[in-house]
Amino acid sequence: MAPPQAGEEYVVLESIDGYTFVVPHAVACESGTLRSMLDEDAAFEESKNKYCKIQQRGVILLKVIEYLAYKHQYKEFNAEDIKEDFSDRIDPYIALELLTAADFLEA
Amino acid sequence: MAMSMGAARRGKPKIRPPKRPTANTPIKDTWAKLANAIREIQNHNASKLSYEEHYRYAYNMVLYKDGDQLYNGVKALVAEHLDRLAEENIVPTFPRSGGTRGAGKLGGGAEAIERAMEGDRFLKAVKAAWEDHTGSMRKIKDVLRYMDKGYSAAMNLPLIYDVGLTLFVSHIIRSTTHPIHTHLISTLLSQVQLEREGETITRSTVRECTDILMRLRTPEREGGKTVYVADFEPEFLRRSAEFYKLEAVDMLETGNAAQYLRNVERRLAEETDRTVHYLSTNTHPALQEILVANLLTPHLQTILDMPGSGLSTMVDSDRIPDLRRLYTLFLRVPDDVGKTRLRGGLRTDIEARGKAVNAGNVDRSEAGPSTLGQDDGDAEDDPKGKGKAKATASPAANALSSALRWVQDVLDLKDKFDSILEKAFQGDKQVQVSINEAFQSFINANPRAPEYLSLFIDENLKKGTKAKSDDEIESALEKTIVLFRFLHDKDKFERYYKNHLARRLLYGRSASDDSEREMVAKLKSEMGFQFTQKLEGMFTDMRVSTESANSFRNYNTRHGALPFDLNVNVLTASYWPQPIVATTTCTFSAVLQPAMETFQKYYDSRHSGRRLTWQGNLGTADVKVRFRNRSHDLNLSTHALVVLLLFEDVKSGESISYPEIKSATDLPDADLARTLQSLACAKFRVLTKIPKGRDINPSDRFEFNEAFTSPLARIKIMQVASKVETVKEREETQEMVDEERKHQVEACIVRVMKDRKQMTHNDLISEVAHQLAARFTPSMPLIKKRIEGLIDREYLERTSDMGSYRYLA
Repeated sequence: MAPPQAGEEYVVLESIDGYTFVVPHAVACESGTLRSMLDEDAAFEESKNKYCKIQQRGVILLKVIEYLAYKHQYKEFNAEDIKEDFSDRIDPYIALELLTAADFLEA
Repeated sequence: MAMSMGAARRGKPKIRPPKRPTANTPIKDTWAKLANAIREIQNHNASKLSYEEHYRYAYNMVLYKDGDQLYNGVKALVAEHLDRLAEENIVPTFPRSGGTRGAGKLGGGAEAIERAMEGDRFLKAVKAAWEDHTGSMRKIKDVLRYMDKGYSAAMNLPLIYDVGLTLFVSHIIRSTTHPIHTHLISTLLSQVQLEREGETITRSTVRECTDILMRLRTPEREGGKTVYVADFEPEFLRRSAEFYKLEAVDMLETGNAAQYLRNVERRLAEETDRTVHYLSTNTHPALQEILVANLLTPHLQTILDMPGSGLSTMVDSDRIPDLRRLYTLFLRVPDDVGKTRLRGGLRTDIEARGKAVNAGNVDRSEAGPSTLGQDDGDAEDDPKGKGKAKATASPAANALSSALRWVQDVLDLKDKFDSILEKAFQGDKQVQVSINEAFQSFINANPRAPEYLSLFIDENLKKGTKAKSDDEIESALEKTIVLFRFLHDKDKFERYYKNHLARRLLYGRSASDDSEREMVAKLKSEMGFQFTQKLEGMFTDMRVSTESANSFRNYNTRHGALPFDLNVNVLTASYWPQPIVATTTCTFSAVLQPAMETFQKYYDSRHSGRRLTWQGNLGTADVKVRFRNRSHDLNLSTHALVVLLLFEDVKSGESISYPEIKSATDLPDADLARTLQSLACAKFRVLTKIPKGRDINPSDRFEFNEAFTSPLARIKIMQVASKVETVKEREETQEMVDEERKHQVEACIVRVMKDRKQMTHNDLISEVAHQLAARFTPSMPLIKKRIEGLIDREYLERTSDMGSYRYLA
């Protein structure tokens, strides 16, 4: 994760086992669920505090965030121009758990 | 999804099962919590709720196959909320008086303002309910994201937000418990109505409500149109139609076409503005159509004919903006009906004006300053009018001035309509056609049009009539060409033109050779080479005569000088008009004879096989005459000279009788009378007539007026030439024209038949009529008669079936 920079908006994501991640707002919003959660117009508790508790283990949440960053980085690219395959970075041990997390978070 | 695919591709079966989502709370509790949350959202307390938590509830419910309960539960909650909104927020703001059904006036003043305010309040309430609803629906939609994705889409049900919109239609707009629908539509209509009547309403509120209606759709079974289109638009259009129908009648009663059209224009603009600002632009075409159909289409003729302000009045006072408005509005009437009516109206109007011009009773004060100069010119131009008492203008002068006035009036009228066409009708070609047709019809309704037109040109080409610049002459001629185009009897015009041209040329009265030639060139380009062939021949004769004058002078010096100068114009008989070259008898005085013989010799030496005939009627002579006080140089016509020379040997106090003069000169009566008139009755009276009087009688006697005085050394005694034809002359001209037409028709028939060999009667007649149309309009009996004539002379024969003719070579 890139260190937080001034002027950028950050949100905090907390895993069920107590790890917290400071994530750029734009990266978090790559997830549909997180985007709704942080929607300022809807003004739910999370968007007010910029603090989201996610019911996932830290290790899963970390991978999710890694994927969101990856998605954010290649947002503007055509599929054939992307050389890096994210699937190489997934540990089979957590694959299924990651899958349900992805479904929940609309990642 | 990238991750799952990646996982699958790896394929190594070391995957651990994920931890099952903790479903420790029973479904019933989950739903209770979620329902509670939705109510909180509806009460604007979303910020106290955790999104993640409730998202997870919905997620779990969908995952554990309770989507059904969730979906319907939410639906019920939303419906309940909407009912409450209607009850608490909308119903209390219902306008007191309910909807107005009729199209009648809503009453004015304070009451109207009151109504506008009430309506506004009600619409604002609807709008507030809408905003409240859509706001909470957005949040609910966010929370139920997973349901939309995992349940609604899978079950082919509408997304929850759309369900919210449908519920808004069924529970608020078309509520079965409260008459919101009636109130809403009628309030919107009455707001529009109030504005149409000039009240001020809050447009933004109306706009917001129509926006809501446009956003909402009616249920599928009703066609799925927007509520605006289904419920509001038809009613709105119906009411608009009613309103404008009544307004049209009201406005027409005020009886001012210009004002009526202004109002229509204003209304059209207003309604455009209205559709743009707070209705749908889709309504625009239909609404404009209704306006046109109610305000214009049924009343076109009424507007045109409106006394004191209709088309005629607008044209009278050149009200260009009104006419332009009339034109643009009439164009909007579908199927070109408006334009057709306008064209018809114009035609009637022009024909009426033309009739007035033909009758010669145009209001002169209206025709403008252009005709003032004209009248002055006439007076100067006519020697006879000046010679006698000034008050009583001679009939000839009157006739001439009325001819000129007629042309000028027609030209003024043409100018007027040209400018109207240009400025108000955008130069519309079809309208132009109608205008031209109308001009054509009334110009040809005047049987003397060809003569008048030629006179007008004569007036403009003549020397010394008025100080006119070349440009002025040019533009006058250009205009006359336009009138010339309208003429049917172009051959008649040619005849007159030839006469007038001949006089101009022989009397040397052409102002400018260039202008003359230009005019002929114009005619040529209009009518082709044949038409102007003779005219050009006349020019050639004149030119050749001038050239030969020099060589004759040289001839003279070699063969002994003559006692006076002689200038001869040799005219080719076939080019010049009949009356000029017609052989008139005249016994030239003995003094003149030697000179004539010299010229005859000279001419015979130059040309062989040509016969010279001496025509004194169009020549002029300069002669010095001694009177008692002093001598004067007189410029007079050759005939006048012949007459004057008779008095050379007469002693003072003696007189010669008319028969004596006649026998001495052998002039025809008409010519002699004219000549004597110019000598004894015009401005300069070198002869004295006994008894005095204007007209020449065979019993009159004449003596030389020795007492003649004049301050001028040089006096021009003009031949009293009748400028406008008398009735008799006109009959003669008509006869000649008819005679010539006979020949032309015959020539044309032969031409056609030679080409076709055999033709049916009808084909032949139509072909001949068509070919001759450029020159004149031949009548059916004329053509038939000519065909019979040709059959008699065995140029043609009837075929056995009697329906056709055959050409006999």
